[in-house]
This record gives sequence, structure tokens and C-alpha cells, in this order.
Amino acid sequence: MTFERIKKLFLENFDLSDERLYPEATVESIGLDSLDKIEFLFVLEKEFDIKIPDREVKLNSIQDMISVIERLVAEQCAKQEQSV
Amino acid sequence: MGLISPLGNSCEEFFSNLVAGRSGIKRISSDFVDRLSINIAAEADFAAEAYFSKKTARTLDRFSQFAVVAAAQAWLDADMQLPGDEKKRAGVYLGTGMGGARTLEDSYVQLFKQNVKRLDPLTVVMVMNNAAASYISMAHAMKGPCLTFSTACSSSAVAIGEAFRLIKHGYADVMLAGGTESLLTYGIFMSWESIGTLALEAEDPSTSCRPFSKDRTGFVLGEGAAILVLESLDRAKQRGARIYGEVVGYGSTADADHITKPSVEGQANAIAAALEEAGISPDEIDYINAHGTATVVNDIAETRAIKEIFGQRAYQIPISSTKSMHGHLLGAAGAIELVAAVLALKHQTAPPTANLTIPDPECDLDYVPGKARTGLNLKTIMSNSFAFGGTNAVLIVKKHE
Repeated sequence: MTFERIKKLFLENFDLSDERLYPEATVESIGLDSLDKIEFLFVLEKEFDIKIPDREVKLNSIQDMISVIERLVAEQCAKQEQSV
Repeated sequence: MGLISPLGNSCEEFFSNLVAGRSGIKRISSDFVDRLSINIAAEADFAAEAYFSKKTARTLDRFSQFAVVAAAQAWLDADMQLPGDEKKRAGVYLGTGMGGARTLEDSYVQLFKQNVKRLDPLTVVMVMNNAAASYISMAHAMKGPCLTFSTACSSSAVAIGEAFRLIKHGYADVMLAGGTESLLTYGIFMSWESIGTLALEAEDPSTSCRPFSKDRTGFVLGEGAAILVLESLDRAKQRGARIYGEVVGYGSTADADHITKPSVEGQANAIAAALEEAGISPDEIDYINAHGTATVVNDIAETRAIKEIFGQRAYQIPISSTKSMHGHLLGAAGAIELVAAVLALKHQTAPPTANLTIPDPECDLDYVPGKARTGLNLKTIMSNSFAFGGTNAVLIVKKHE
């Protein structure tokens, strides 16, 4: 599910073909440069309503992104439950 | 030459609208229009998706989008080629008043009204004034000087003049030069309303800008871009390029007087300097595209400055303010008005000053009221740009025989 949402965002924001987007695809294999990557993280943050910490987070492949997003979303939910 | 304007997105459409006296001034299309006291502007009809992929459009503020498209048009129009070893001899000089103003304002709204925790990472590179020139240099692999000039309403005239000198003094062989502006945002309209130089909305809004007319009340803000290909004459002749004209003079002076009020002396000095560089006498100027903002003070000052340099001859020169139709493009004004004047040279037709219905005795020169004048014998034209801050820029272009 997360993968499908990420794939949709890639297709909406960049001129890419479907085949380039699979879980093991890396930022390089997809054809993004460093600025594209930062821009895409911003798009992910908005889509999933999370804040990706700026440093020391491994985000080289789509699978990395899925892991980080699912972790942050879970942390976010946990925090919300705590405050209630 | 290439352009994006409130009167069309091609030189032909732009000039034919000018000659027909059509106005690009109408009610502002944005939804904040009712929060403004003055509800009119000269907007360009431009959809990014018609020119750019999604990915590229997101990385460019509208001011850059205009410029990149106008530059591409000019490149094609000039049938320009730039082989590898010549890339370092080609550059870009642009003028803009406020760069990526729209993106900047959107960011402030997000930060201060919507409390976002992070801004778009591309904000900096979309807002910076030099973005447009940089993207043009990338698009055409131009590795020579790439600069952006900011002198308010004379920015793009300055850019063109400086590019002309760069080629003249041997630092470059090809320059894309001009200007771009897109600042029709709520905040910027409000700023301009406060300073009191915007035209009051006339009963027919399209007639609100009335340069040199006794009932003038100021100018109408516009947006757009205009880019010209400047090339060394030798190179142009060698490749059989179509030559619209030869830039022969550029006068750049400062009023050194007041931050907004125009100075007759500063303007006259700029006209004189341009004539001197061109090595021609005032008698040789056949048409002037005036700065003509339709403020009470500019139009009087400009009339006096022209009379001071041209003397009695001033009364024989057709002079028009095309701002009456395309609005005030601010950082892009000088460039789009030079394009209008060069097209006048090509078509031997002086565009009119629209809405000049009540003569002002203090502006008694031939301002081509209402109707274009065709069948002229134009050889040399002049274009004036006088700005807040006092930087005056005057350009002279001669027909190439």
C-alpha cells in the first residue's frame, strides 16, 4: 500500500516510466539527482503528514522510504494516542 | 526576439494587437481581487503545462517560465547555432525587479498563515532573482557571462544595453538579453496601491492607462518577458542571419535626486549619452517608444527631457507609450518596449498611445494618439526607460541596410 502511494507520487511529480519504480529501485536507478531527492522527500512528508529528520536517515531506495515512512507514521500514531 | 505578454505570446500577435490599439488590461483574474481597491492588471495568458513537463514546471517560478519560453522563441527566431568552441563567447543578461515574487509570497502564506513546518526545498532557487537567467543559460549551453540586473523599471533596458556593450567591446559574440517580471500577487498589489502611482479604474477598465492625456491617473501593473538575441555584426553577417536592427547607443544615468520623482536632467542626460555613443544627432531619431507611465509627473518630465535634447525637432517625432495597452511590465518593461520599437522599424508603423483623448498642454508633443501610423520612413528608433531609484536607460537601434 505504502509502495503504491509512493509510486503514484513519483509518477505525478516526475516524468518517469512505470518499470523504473519497484521496491529495490534506488534514487540513482530512478534517475533523480540530489535536489530531486530532497524535493521528493518534501512531497512524501506532505502526503503522509510526517516529518523526516534531516540527517542520518538512509533513504537510497524505495524500500528505504517505505521503512522510514511506516516507522514515522507509527511513531506519530503512538504520540497521538499518548496525548489523548 | 521572443516574448510573453498581456497582448499575446508571440512577436507577431503582440505587434498586431498594438497596432490595432487593443488593450491587455482587464479585471484581475485572481480570487483576491475583491480585497483590493484597484482591481485591474495586464495579465499574460500563459499556462505552464503548455510549455513544460510537470517536473520542470515545479522548479520554475512563473517569472522564470516566461523568460525560458521567450528565450526559446528568440533562439528559434534568430535561427541561432552555438558550436562547442563558441559557447564561452555567449551569455545571458536579464533584468527583473522582483524575481520569484509569487513563490516568495506563497511561502510566506504557508509559513505565517498555515504554519507549515517545512517549505518546499526549491524555494530558494525559485525565488532568487538570477534563476531565470541561469535556466536560460542552461537551456542553450551559454557559458559566457550570465548576469541579472535589478534597477526597477529600467532593469531590462539596462540588461540589453550592458549586453550590447559586452559584444561591442569584444567580451562576447552572442547574448540573450531582456527581462522578465511576474509579480501580480496580493501583497505586491497592496504595496503598489499604497504608493499611489496605479491608475484608477476607468469606466471601461481596458482604457485605464492614459499616458500623456490630461485625465491620466497612473499605470497598470503587468507581467511578461521579452528576450532579444544580440549578436556581433560580423558573426551575424557571416551566417546570413536576419537582422532586425543594430543597437548603436545606450545611455545609462542616475537622477541622484529623489527615490521616486523623475528628474528632467537625469532623463535628458541619458538620451544625450545614448545619442553620443551612437554618434548621431537628435535629427536622426524617427520614432521614440516613451517610458510614458501615465503618472502626472513622469509624462511631464519626459516631455521636457525630450524637448531639451531635441529642441523644435521634438515636435516632428512620433512618440508613443505602449504601456497604454500592455501595461507596465516593470523589470521587463524596457525589453518589451524595445521589441515594440524594433517591430515598428520592421513594419514601418508607429503603434499608438491608446486612450489619449484629452490633450495636456504640458505634454504637447506628437504622441500618436489613438491610431497607429503606417507607411512611415523609420530608420532609427529610441526607447526610454526611467525608474524608481533614478536609473535611466535609453537605447537606440538603427535599421540595418
